[in-house]
Amino acid sequence: MEDSRGASQATGFSRRALVIGYGSPIRGDDALGPLVADRLARRDLPQGVTVIARHILTPDLVPAVCDARLVVFVDAAISGTPGEIHCRRLKPAQAPPVTVAHFLDPAELLAWAEALYDKLPTAFLVSTPGHCFDFGHFRLSEPVAGAVEALTERVHDLVAGHIPAAP
Amino acid sequence: MSRTISIDPVTRIEGHAKITLQLGDDGKVSDAKFHLTQFRGFEKFCEGRPYREMPAITARTCGICPVSHLLASNKACDDLLSVAIPTTAENLRRVMNLAQLTQSHALSFFHLSSPDLLLGWDSDPASRNVFGLMKANPQLARDGIRLRQIGQQIIETLGGKKIHPTWVVPGGVNEPLSQEKRDAMLALLPEGLEIARQTFDFYKRLVPKFQQEARHFGDIPTLFLSLVTPKGDLEHYDGLIRISDATGRIIEDMVPPKEYERIIGEAVEDFSYMKFPYYKPHGYPQGMYRVGPLARLNNAESCGTPYADVALAEFRTLQESGPISSSFHYHYARLVEIIFALEMMKRLLNGPRITDHRVRARARSNQHEGIGVAEAPRGTLIHHYRIDDDGLMTWMNLVIATGHNNLAMNASIRQVAEAYVDGSRLEEGMLNRVEAVIRCFDPCLSCASHAFGQMPIQVELQDPDGKVVARLRRDAGNP
Repeated sequence: MEDSRGASQATGFSRRALVIGYGSPIRGDDALGPLVADRLARRDLPQGVTVIARHILTPDLVPAVCDARLVVFVDAAISGTPGEIHCRRLKPAQAPPVTVAHFLDPAELLAWAEALYDKLPTAFLVSTPGHCFDFGHFRLSEPVAGAVEALTERVHDLVAGHIPAAP
Repeated sequence: MSRTISIDPVTRIEGHAKITLQLGDDGKVSDAKFHLTQFRGFEKFCEGRPYREMPAITARTCGICPVSHLLASNKACDDLLSVAIPTTAENLRRVMNLAQLTQSHALSFFHLSSPDLLLGWDSDPASRNVFGLMKANPQLARDGIRLRQIGQQIIETLGGKKIHPTWVVPGGVNEPLSQEKRDAMLALLPEGLEIARQTFDFYKRLVPKFQQEARHFGDIPTLFLSLVTPKGDLEHYDGLIRISDATGRIIEDMVPPKEYERIIGEAVEDFSYMKFPYYKPHGYPQGMYRVGPLARLNNAESCGTPYADVALAEFRTLQESGPISSSFHYHYARLVEIIFALEMMKRLLNGPRITDHRVRARARSNQHEGIGVAEAPRGTLIHHYRIDDDGLMTWMNLVIATGHNNLAMNASIRQVAEAYVDGSRLEEGMLNRVEAVIRCFDPCLSCASHAFGQMPIQVELQDPDGKVVARLRRDAGNP
């Protein structure tokens, strides 16, 4: 799912905010990010907001990150109380994690953007801890499912607070 | 006293794995094992679900190569329907597969392997990573991003989504290609080809530096298995199975993929969740073979596109005679295949019927068993399904590209460990070479979304009782 409403080509606005919900749809609560992205994309968003759903974060997202003033990552956290919503400001990774697999984490994406393109958008991670991440699970756990709406609202508010509605 | 070195987790590969090295009394490596330590169980949890769900579910195996599973799964479903899909649909699927290959190979070469290739295996691990690469050669890092972008944009243009597109369906594809989309994709290809050719020229000049690594990074006598066209040329979507031996002699040719069980057996070992496929007539484990870019180029008579054929000719000069035997040259083979993919996409998209509106054969299931085979970036991918009268899955077997290489990866680790690891003194560069030989294969052990790259890598020397006698550790953010 990708919603490019307000895209720069159509409006003349530069892409101003990017929301990336990521996770695996078949690993229980890991589906949270894409589900929130899906809900958000159906809302009436300010112009210049792009919403993307991804299984994992990969380097080809770096140009889109560079193109945004605000980037909000949405993901299920590994530990903590399922259902609790957390929002924290992200800084670029200062050193890469030792294990660099085929995917990146948000701080790495920011570091790539800064190091290769000299761009550093404001970035947040909005998350809630998950309860079950097993393969072959196609539903969210109860506490995480109960947090989806509030989490979507939090991301929406975050975007709206940084990107004022178009006149 | 024998000891064991464990590298856990292995870095810069996909999924969870560890390596253990058994040292003998003389401190030399006496055995080596590559362990896949995560279990996914797709074959079991898919049982009882409708076969039409399989493309969508199996594509979730991985966030890097979902298109490969999507294609193999849909081909298995085509087989269940007993339909021949329209030529235009086949060509559109081919374009998507080649776009996937481009982006996947780009990630492997530019971002995962280049730090070793450019900075050296003995360089400071604090900077021997993609950040170090950005400082040493930022343009190479940007080129890698751009190639991935091009591959992903083509996948998105065709499928509507960059990850897990649903455009490929049993019987073909669900929407014809518009002229506008075709032109948009064609416009991306010249830049991609320019990057690919420049990188190939760059690497061609670099590769003579790696003669020692080439000798020890899995330079082993194995068979090579891949699909080829009916003429014996490079093939990634369909075709027939060819197996050649370590001398280049073809020992199986033009085998219909549906007969894979006649030639491929699958063994299991108690130290890994990954199966050990082997060539049945040679038995286990003698029937060790390799798949993927190295095998495909060794098996192909030609690529069939201009620049890729020139690159293939140069690839073949890496060795005086016979197939290219060192796993180190998977890197080189990937660059040849990227060139091929970009050229072939251009040819396919310029085809006169590529925008034809007949792109799907519609049918219900007409048989209880279906097999789909395609070449994923890492090698031959097999989906084999059985269903009941209601179209529900009763049995599934997936032979994953990385799995084919399992025996060869283990043999390669042992070779490189024998050459570089001395148990009396543990040095990080030695162990990085052991990991690097695995990265040559670019294994995709599945995408574990929450395996953030923040686990430490730990190497332990253990005595037979499990007592740690030495430890080498690199922590996340503190290499």
